[in-house]
Amino acid sequence: MATFERGQPRDPLEAELDRLFAAYREACPDPEPSLDFMPRLWERIEGQRSWTREWRRLTEVLVGAAVALSLLLGVVLARREPPASFYTSTYVEVLAANYSQEGPLDPEVLAIDQEIAP
Amino acid sequence: MLVEFELVKRAREGDHTAFTQLVQAYRKRILGTIARLIGRPEDVEDVGQEVFLRLYFSLDQLRSEEVFEPWLYRLTVNAAYDYLRRQRRRGEARMADLSEQHVMLADAAAGSRAQQEEQRRRQLRETVQTLLANVSEQDRMLLVLKEIEGLSLKELEKIYRVNENALKVRLFRARQRVLKALAAAQGAAARAKGSA
Repeated sequence: MATFERGQPRDPLEAELDRLFAAYREACPDPEPSLDFMPRLWERIEGQRSWTREWRRLTEVLVGAAVALSLLLGVVLARREPPASFYTSTYVEVLAANYSQEGPLDPEVLAIDQEIAP
Repeated sequence: MLVEFELVKRAREGDHTAFTQLVQAYRKRILGTIARLIGRPEDVEDVGQEVFLRLYFSLDQLRSEEVFEPWLYRLTVNAAYDYLRRQRRRGEARMADLSEQHVMLADAAAGSRAQQEEQRRRQLRETVQTLLANVSEQDRMLLVLKEIEGLSLKELEKIYRVNENALKVRLFRARQRVLKALAAAQGAAARAKGSA
């Protein structure tokens, strides 16, 4: 690559570009920082730090509130009496109980059952 | 390194005096790099402040004191890039247009030798910035760091965390584009001279 073959004869255009870059470097010297550079920097750092502190505090408050609310809800739900219709038996048991209360099955259904049975 | 590793270590540990010393040691060099990267002297200090602000809040992420300089350069490149992107979004007058205004003002005021010298420098800056405008902002920064700041490929490798070959390819392509623009500019200048 032409850029890195330093020992080879240079294309005049390449040499001109290098000359321009060198002159640009000379035309843009490192500027002197202003006298208030450090005070301004510390001011910005402090500003950002206080903002970060505020944000952290707000986050902590919100997280604390969320935890407290969760605990409160947990306690309330745990202490609540189960409703009257609370199911203590399984689905099959409830079905069986209903079946016995309703009396015998439809005779047609019984006939089909008998046909299927060997 | 412009400072001892010990100073970087102390700054990392939250020593404000050490951080101040660190900034004082590097600020001039970093401001110079920013000036050549963004091409707008009036905004150099603001971008410089941003670099050191980011440095302060990211020092704890520094793996070791040895990589401090590449780290600082990476922050510089990122801050300069963010600045240029903001400028592009705002749709402000491009550098070349601004320089034109400055040149007009300077033309009116030019009289003394110092002013003429300043005008020559300004025109040179404008020429190089116009040439660099032919490549993307990322490539332009890479080219500035290599060709103008004089950073080695090894240093660039650490800053960009990209392998040397990939950097060489990018640099070569960027340089070819700038060379093409230079050839076109020289051709246009020669034609203008011929017709005059």
